[in-house]
Amino acid sequence: MLGRVKEIWAYRFMVASLVRRELRGRYKGSFLGFLWTFVNPLAQIIVYTIVFSVIMRSDLDKFYIFAITGMIPWLAFDGAMRLGVTCIKDRGDMINKIYFPREVLPIANVTTNFVNMLFCFVIVFLALFISGHGVNPLSLLFLPIIILIEYILTLGLTFIVSAVTVYFKDMQHILNVIMMMWIYLTPVLYPITIIPDKLAWLFKLNPMTFVIETYHCILYWKGIPSINMLGYSSAAAIVAFLVGALVFYKLEPNFAEEL
Amino acid sequence: MESEYSIQVKNAEKYFKIYKDKGKELKERILFRSRNRYEKHKVLNGVSFDIKKGETVGLIGRNGCGKSTTLKLLTKILRPNSGEIIVNGRISSLIELGAGFHPDMTGRENIYINASIFGLSRGDVNKRLDKIIEFSELGEYIDNPVRTYSSGMYMRLGFSVAINVDAQVLLVDEILAVGDVNFQKKCFDRLNQVKKDGTTIVIVSHDMEQLYRLCDRLIWLEKGDIVEDGEARIVGEHYLESMERERLSR
Repeated sequence: MLGRVKEIWAYRFMVASLVRRELRGRYKGSFLGFLWTFVNPLAQIIVYTIVFSVIMRSDLDKFYIFAITGMIPWLAFDGAMRLGVTCIKDRGDMINKIYFPREVLPIANVTTNFVNMLFCFVIVFLALFISGHGVNPLSLLFLPIIILIEYILTLGLTFIVSAVTVYFKDMQHILNVIMMMWIYLTPVLYPITIIPDKLAWLFKLNPMTFVIETYHCILYWKGIPSINMLGYSSAAAIVAFLVGALVFYKLEPNFAEEL
Repeated sequence: MESEYSIQVKNAEKYFKIYKDKGKELKERILFRSRNRYEKHKVLNGVSFDIKKGETVGLIGRNGCGKSTTLKLLTKILRPNSGEIIVNGRISSLIELGAGFHPDMTGRENIYINASIFGLSRGDVNKRLDKIIEFSELGEYIDNPVRTYSSGMYMRLGFSVAINVDAQVLLVDEILAVGDVNFQKKCFDRLNQVKKDGTTIVIVSHDMEQLYRLCDRLIWLEKGDIVEDGEARIVGEHYLESMERERLSR
């Protein structure tokens, strides 16, 4: 297992160049180019803000700040999962032609989406300052921690879905359905306090609940995340990562033959 | 401890599962259970050989005898079903040239991407960049997107990267069909140079003349078994004789 980690580390340049290639290649040739990175999440946030604050009348003060601080981290997770599910399958040619530790592909995929999120944080901070909402510098110290936790959690889940899809093509369609429901079962667009008690168990099982709540806590409520919140989300992240790495390790040897 | 061998293959066995009609969807899997049956198609029946550091070895045999599968096992793209394969040192393969090229990026950018697949950092590539570009003979085209390249240019760029990563083990599959006659000659010379530098090379080819000129040793495979393993000229003669006999008896 240690040898495996060492080998992946030796291929870190490949991860870096795949991330660079993906970020630069994604919108290459399109008129707006890299600006699409911002247009997509902004459009979603605008739609949700209209639906939830104008039509549904959420009583949260400055709902768009609440939406933006939840949606940007959610979209990184969502994007990494939706693209991650096919990140092995779509590279069948590469896998059949050259050797590299296959973990490189999901790692590069998740990293791309998280680097993208860091760019999008420019919008978040612009919104925070322009709206006069401001930030609490002490809270911000926890921002890198929760980003790291979310990254590890996403990576673990991506390991699982990307490897399973190779053998079981329905996975990608199942995942799309799951992701569509998952956003509504996570307090991204509404505060956790309005969840009815009889559904509370479902939200507690969902690791993303605590991740998104932590983002809201840091950026919207400008508070310090509780030990419980951080502890639960890091435990979930570590479990997901270990299970994911193990599943991937078990399924990986036959990728070339299956594709 | 440094081993004197670059490659050790111990009793490697490989079979492919040939599915009659495999369902990949859940529905198909459940409804048509019987279709999941498969036949084992043996490609290698427990092959063993060792290759010393700096040796140049050719793999010969008719189509479908397991040559390319053996190369893929050496690169770790495929895993043996049983047995063991140990390769010491950085491997570069001239099996599929230009794998991972991004069509919209320039030749220069793709050099970095392609070299990173062999484990090179940007710094490592910078040191070799001039050499790679010069070898590829792409000149000013190097800054054009790869999608505008002809297939020859594409292959030349792929070859230049793969041959210049300074691997300790080089695997070659029918490469000398790259580019025009002059470029093929250059590839061949370069391969000889790499050989002199002490790189271990394994070549799959049907061109016996080339093999004689490059290899010290040939391994002749037949239906997944090694028929003969020894000095290039001798094994080559035997192989050609057998092919000739078969042709006449038809």
